[in-house]
Amino acid sequence: MSLVNFTNLDFDQIKISIKDYLRSNSNFRDYDFEGSNLSQIIDVLAYNTYISSYNANMISNEVFIDSATLRENVVSLARNIGYVPRSRKASRARITFFIDTTPFTNKSTTLTLKSGLVCTSSSRFGDQNFTFCISEDITVPIVNNIASFDDIYIYEGSYITSKFTVSSEGSNSSQRYILNNANIDTSSIRVLIQDGPLTTNRIKYNVSENILNIDSESEIFFLQEIEDQRYELIFGDGIFGKKLKENNIIECSYLITNGENGNGIQSFTFAGRILDNNGNLISDRISLITSSESSNGGNEIESVSSIKNYSTRIFSSFNRAVTASDYEALIPKIYPETQSVSVFGGEDLDPPQFGKVFITIKPFHGPFLSNTIKNNLKNLLRKYSVAGIVPQILDLKYVYVEYNTTAYYNENKSSGANEVGSLISKNIEQYAKSVELNKYGAKFKYSKFQKIVDDSDDSITSNITVVSIRRDLRASINQFSSYEICYGNSFHVGNMNGYNIRSSGFSVKGIEGVVYLSDIPKNTTEGDIFLFKLKSPKSPNIVNSKIGKVDYIKGEIILLPIYITGTEKNIGGEPIIEISVSPESNDIIGKQDLYLQLDINNSSLNVLLDDISSGADLSGTTYESTTSYTTEEILIRE
Amino acid sequence: MPLERVSQGFKDISMSFQVNPLNLDLIALKNETAIARSIRNLVLTSPGERFFNEDLGTDISTLLFENFDFTTADLIKDQVGRIINRYEPRVDLIGVEVDSNPDDYTYNVSISYKIIGVDVLPQKLSFALQSVR
Repeated sequence: MSLVNFTNLDFDQIKISIKDYLRSNSNFRDYDFEGSNLSQIIDVLAYNTYISSYNANMISNEVFIDSATLRENVVSLARNIGYVPRSRKASRARITFFIDTTPFTNKSTTLTLKSGLVCTSSSRFGDQNFTFCISEDITVPIVNNIASFDDIYIYEGSYITSKFTVSSEGSNSSQRYILNNANIDTSSIRVLIQDGPLTTNRIKYNVSENILNIDSESEIFFLQEIEDQRYELIFGDGIFGKKLKENNIIECSYLITNGENGNGIQSFTFAGRILDNNGNLISDRISLITSSESSNGGNEIESVSSIKNYSTRIFSSFNRAVTASDYEALIPKIYPETQSVSVFGGEDLDPPQFGKVFITIKPFHGPFLSNTIKNNLKNLLRKYSVAGIVPQILDLKYVYVEYNTTAYYNENKSSGANEVGSLISKNIEQYAKSVELNKYGAKFKYSKFQKIVDDSDDSITSNITVVSIRRDLRASINQFSSYEICYGNSFHVGNMNGYNIRSSGFSVKGIEGVVYLSDIPKNTTEGDIFLFKLKSPKSPNIVNSKIGKVDYIKGEIILLPIYITGTEKNIGGEPIIEISVSPESNDIIGKQDLYLQLDINNSSLNVLLDDISSGADLSGTTYESTTSYTTEEILIRE
Repeated sequence: MPLERVSQGFKDISMSFQVNPLNLDLIALKNETAIARSIRNLVLTSPGERFFNEDLGTDISTLLFENFDFTTADLIKDQVGRIINRYEPRVDLIGVEVDSNPDDYTYNVSISYKIIGVDVLPQKLSFALQSVR
């Protein structure tokens, strides 16, 4: 018998293989007894085989992008298909300050804020102090003795300059230009090439991502990530890109940043250098710094899982936006602020809109994209998109998931309801922020949510969670408008007498006071929407019996033209009507352009004592039970 | 009627790895010698020494540095009995004796056992345990 199974990764199985071999090929017979010398030798042989198999397995894993785990291997494999992972991104803030030059004796006409450090965060933010810089000098005129630096953008981090001299002699025959710092924001890299030490003329080289439109005279360089999250500059070879000459000096400046840790700072202290046009340093009469935009947009280096996900998709799209997944792959590349993107063709719509592709983007910071960014993106997408297909960027439509959770705990294992409640809240908050939920096509998994609650602390014995879904209708005030609100999830018709839908209050022309909307089912698939007022919290008075219809299966509410004059609630000054329903399924999905959000602020969490588990009431006589269904007594949203 | 167990004999390799001058093969340990060697190996192995089997072995190497008294001697006795009963199915343990010899800090261990399935007299294996720093 031959020893065949030598790739097994289980030590015991390898040992059995060796014993089987000995059983038929040797006259030694004590391999079965752990104390024997032969057993010890078998152990050593099996361990050796095990380690070899493990190494072979790890090596073969690292060869393929799907199974590789080490970042430098994943990056290297992605490089083979032309993908450069996104670097860290520096946080950016917008600040304003001025200098009053009235008392200055040396009158000058302009002041220049020198490149480099401008200000620091006023107080320690978290555990760190942050510095903010600019990459180029900013010069402003002095008008009426005031030099005003208005709305200048500053970037979190420190500017570093590296210099290399091109040389092909001796040990430099295979010279590499490696930026020896990790945490670089590659979008800040500026490369200037000087002919030699005796000349002062410098030419700016630009980064190139591919070899399209590049010839032998193109002043470009390529960038690639190497080990330890550092970057290497690669210059042209005289065919693709201009080749560097002997003794050329490469000056590369770049920003080292703390990424997302630098976000959210709005208070700054000036620490920069200002010179007047005579070269005098200005150090006083500098106003306090006001920030019109707190620092935002800072981001971490692209994760290994993201590289695996996007590199292959970018490769398969060949820099052409044809299918929906091509757009999904390209948009994070051209707009790195993208947290999540959803794309679908117009043919999927009801009614279809052929020739259009609809894109919705959730940025990392803030809920919506500004119109300027949308227009920029459209222009950038033109380079990739196919003639005849019009990309349209839509605003996000949020579907809010609200929960009403009652958790029971055993007081013998916990120090109190408050502690248990804060542990649960913390875990739910983490789940609300998780990638699993914050993406298009996300799914709120009911059982998983309950598990998160149950696993928050050992003392928690069970929980009852009731979920509802809500959308915010943006009301057009003082005009007739019809509305269509899609939830993408079927509604649960719990009460055939109506009031399955709850809304916040609003006012309508011709009806005095606050009104609310709700539904009355015709059957289990559709119903009418009506308006009502409240005489008392449980006593409604219908004022208009049909203002629209509801499709419970599609999860859609349609309001006929209605003249809304005001709403009780608003978000950022925009009037809204909150409309919530119970979903048919407790697992809630974000379909097409609908983006799920777990709304913690409008949810509730109660922590109750489980007397049965704690032993205080073994018979359960005083046990306080909680309903698993939505309470029918509540008719409106407060 | 129970089946009679007939052993075909035991044959183990010698850790000296010396060559037998008669057949030019490795020296082999057979039957009683092989079993005695196995018992000795088990007793002198520390837990965790063998790969992926941290239960195999005794704490005797640690116990030798404990107080030199009857309690420690009893613990050694227990450990020896436990390891043989658990990992040496070829023998039927008759008894373990551990005599402490305080004058030279030595425990004399004497193990009596019958070999199952082999028609030989009960065996006795004796060795001394001494702490070596």
